Amino acid sequence: MNKPLTEIAGYTNWRKKLILMLLIGSLSILGVSLICLNFGVVSINPKEIISLLLGGTQDKTKNLIIWQLRAPRIVLGVITGAALSTVGGAFQGILRNPLADPYILGVSAGAALGACIGIALQHATGYLFASYLPLFAFIGAMFSLYLVYQSSKITYSANSTGLLLAGVAITFLFSALITILLAISRKELQSMVFWLMGDLSAANWKKISIITLPAMIGCLLLFFSSLDLNALSLGEEEALHLGINTGKLRIRIFLIGSIIIASVVSFTGLIGFVGLVIPHIARLLVGPDHRIMLPASAFLGGIFLILCDVLARTVIAPTEIPIGAITAIIGAPLFIYLLRRKNK
Amino acid sequence: MADNNNILTLKGVHFSYNDNREILSDINFYLPKGELLGIIGPNGSGKTTLLNVISGILKPKKGEISLLNQNLNNLPIEQIAKFISVVPQDTWVTFDFKAKEVVFMGRLPYISRLKGETLEDYQISREAMKKTHSLSLSENNIQEISGGERQRVFMAKALAQTPQLLLLDEFTSHLDLNYKYEMLNLLKKALEKEGLTIISVFHDLNLASIISHRLLLLNEGKIEKIGAPQEVLTEEIIQKAYGVRPILINHPALKVPQVIM
Repeated sequence: MNKPLTEIAGYTNWRKKLILMLLIGSLSILGVSLICLNFGVVSINPKEIISLLLGGTQDKTKNLIIWQLRAPRIVLGVITGAALSTVGGAFQGILRNPLADPYILGVSAGAALGACIGIALQHATGYLFASYLPLFAFIGAMFSLYLVYQSSKITYSANSTGLLLAGVAITFLFSALITILLAISRKELQSMVFWLMGDLSAANWKKISIITLPAMIGCLLLFFSSLDLNALSLGEEEALHLGINTGKLRIRIFLIGSIIIASVVSFTGLIGFVGLVIPHIARLLVGPDHRIMLPASAFLGGIFLILCDVLARTVIAPTEIPIGAITAIIGAPLFIYLLRRKNK
Repeated sequence: MADNNNILTLKGVHFSYNDNREILSDINFYLPKGELLGIIGPNGSGKTTLLNVISGILKPKKGEISLLNQNLNNLPIEQIAKFISVVPQDTWVTFDFKAKEVVFMGRLPYISRLKGETLEDYQISREAMKKTHSLSLSENNIQEISGGERQRVFMAKALAQTPQLLLLDEFTSHLDLNYKYEMLNLLKKALEKEGLTIISVFHDLNLASIISHRLLLLNEGKIEKIGAPQEVLTEEIIQKAYGVRPILINHPALKVPQVIM
């Protein structure tokens, strides 16, 4: 992004910068997606993929693999990565804490407990609820969010310390319940572990159609709070002096962010590290202005997650590794490297 | 004095946190347009709290504050931000914003979140940087400049907010003598040419005495004395508030009292 940008009165024209970034981002996502379509258990050569994408249906099996298995998986990966990273970036901004991630308010623990209960019930009731698993996860996530909010009100009148402490407490409580479920489960254990580490393998177009709307509207709403998030990095009091109602802003960001995350992880399970690391990389690339940084995080997160997913399904194919394990294995060293570089 | 000339009036203002120990009690004063009022007082006397009550961040427990003849408590903070800007004592920025981006944040009260900023917003920000001699810092990372430079950037931000009332909290504390001098000149210009009204908390009594039209001495949350520097900086009053007996001399050029030990 070294191309000279038009300046107005000494200021970078952020609209032009944003448009340029959107362009580069969309093209990169498209390119990486096309490359990722090539990877899988069944080998399909790039020429065939292009003709399949263009609608030449020579081979029904291959058509099915590309359109019903690989493409939805990539699209779900892009949406999930983008949502996790945008929310992570917004949470880091609202908490003024670069270590915040989308799960910091305990949404993850709630979704996980809901999902594990769902999985346990599936086995007990003979898969009666199989297709309702995401609903269990979503209800769990909303329940934990409600608990966190209520308990923070008791102690700290809903400021960020209160929310964070309540989030930590609820996460511990729910994690303990999950551990008990894991300990007493037998056949269900593997499904539960997979869910806890995140999994894009069950992607299909129906799931995508359900989560696209909340994710997109939610991220757009976060984007329109960018200027407020910028001001908040000067501190709570400074933001108040600039006429920003920080209390309302905090509730708005937490609520929107948590709903986005709840709807996404209900389908994908807990994919860690993306929402923590990607906003940092975005800030290094495009600067801290949330109007540019949040969309950049979305693109980078989408690309990062589909690349991780390719690794997840190819490293020891045909066995799949949970994608959450891959994001952490790549994300953790990357994060340490970035922190070291920054503190030099 | 008629209410209309006063930009700010405080009547019987009390403030306490939840533990009910009064931080401010029975504060009464008015502030005419174009005046610089210096707030002085020992540590813990409530100086910063008084600034926060005036800027609308803290709500008084009792009493009335009117800003341009409107009740401050009824004004939403979005509105207050168009009248009052603040330069805090200490600043801490989370991310690596450039100095010019921080100054631009002063325009936020005027920017629609949907439509975004206009050319005017950029020009005002730039003008504010020129006035505070911080234009050369524009591209610098706010986290990597010195305390004094940062103070000038935050002053520029406060001016970019185009306030009618400027609140300063010991803003000269990180400034070298030359910049202290320049800032004082800047404030004088702002007072005289732009009709700005200023309330500033001072740690340095001599500086307060030189620049302020009137001084307000706070002691244990109460106004010990308010008036011209000559009326406030007397041996008895200072001894009562600070518990030490100072020596007072007259500034040879400016004819205002100066406190020496």
